[in-house]
Amino acid sequence: MAKNTLSSRFRKLDIDEFDENKFVDDHDEAVDNQGPDATEIDNLIRIGDTMTAFQLALRNPPLNTKNPAIKERALAIVLRVLTSFKSSDIEPAVKSLDRSGVDLLMKYIYRGFEKPSDNSSAILLQWHEKAFAVGGLGSIVRVLTARKTV
Amino acid sequence: MPGILTATLRPYLNAVRATLQAALCLENFSSQVVERHNKPEVEVRSSKELLLQPVIISRNDKEKVLIEGSINSVRVSIAVKQADEIEKILCHKFMRFMMMRAENFFILRRKPVENWDLLFSHHQLPHGADVQAQAGGLRHPLHGGDRQGDQRDEVVCQRQGPYRRRGVPQKCKSSCMSFFSPRSFKFYLTSMFLTSAVLRKFPNIPYADHDRHHGF
Repeated sequence: MAKNTLSSRFRKLDIDEFDENKFVDDHDEAVDNQGPDATEIDNLIRIGDTMTAFQLALRNPPLNTKNPAIKERALAIVLRVLTSFKSSDIEPAVKSLDRSGVDLLMKYIYRGFEKPSDNSSAILLQWHEKAFAVGGLGSIVRVLTARKTV
Repeated sequence: MPGILTATLRPYLNAVRATLQAALCLENFSSQVVERHNKPEVEVRSSKELLLQPVIISRNDKEKVLIEGSINSVRVSIAVKQADEIEKILCHKFMRFMMMRAENFFILRRKPVENWDLLFSHHQLPHGADVQAQAGGLRHPLHGGDRQGDQRDEVVCQRQGPYRRRGVPQKCKSSCMSFFSPRSFKFYLTSMFLTSAVLRKFPNIPYADHDRHHGF
């Protein structure tokens, strides 16, 4: 076959990149939430005030950052709070959340499932049950379809 | 379920059921890359906007379920507990058995994903008159689907094992039932899932578009 003797530089272009219908995740480098504050939460857990620790832990979720270290840190803190709960306290804690709080809790629960350790899965399953009772299938669907993971 | 019901089993199964219910919401979606093709997006993974976040539900570190969803297909991977060598061997044997009969399961995938034991796949296809026409190009999505009009099921021809014509023998059917008992087995499956037949076997899986209810 006769090769096109003029420049063949066009062959190195990836035209799919220039397609205007191509989907790009919108990068929202907006307010960079650093995740909950570890020391304060540690103190609260130590004195046994798990409810407040829980409320605090679910504030400032690191949704927008791409830095995995921040997300890991936040996840570890939240998991510590969740595992320090007694089974009977879970339900009132979940009831105290609003709709977006329940969604966020579900996200953390599913992230917590990814690294099962000791008894974390057992307590997480109970959290899942209670959160599902409040949030319903919608909360799970919102976890599945979320573009910004916690 | 027979066997010992530990405290985590029921919440585990409920969690898996709830997540599956959320993930198994599929609709027909033709390929955006190749015209007149209909590929299971969870296998092809070509477009990010069509994929859902994969979620894991774990009961402990040995038993978990991974659910990967997309707009028209879902992949469910199961990691089953294998406590010791004898169970590993048992599982391996059993899974080889299942692998050969994967066509009869329809939704079983031949090859499990890395590090997982057992894989189910479900793909929502269009129904109606043009399924066959689309299936002509679609028949082997994992081969790239470039067999326009090729109606033969090449998978079946290639794998003419001794059981193909007889169907699954009776005694094999009973061991298939014990698959779901709580005794641990390791399943090692390789299969190519038959996409066009899936929907006909599972008409009661919910789909998003209720209007396209052509006769089944």
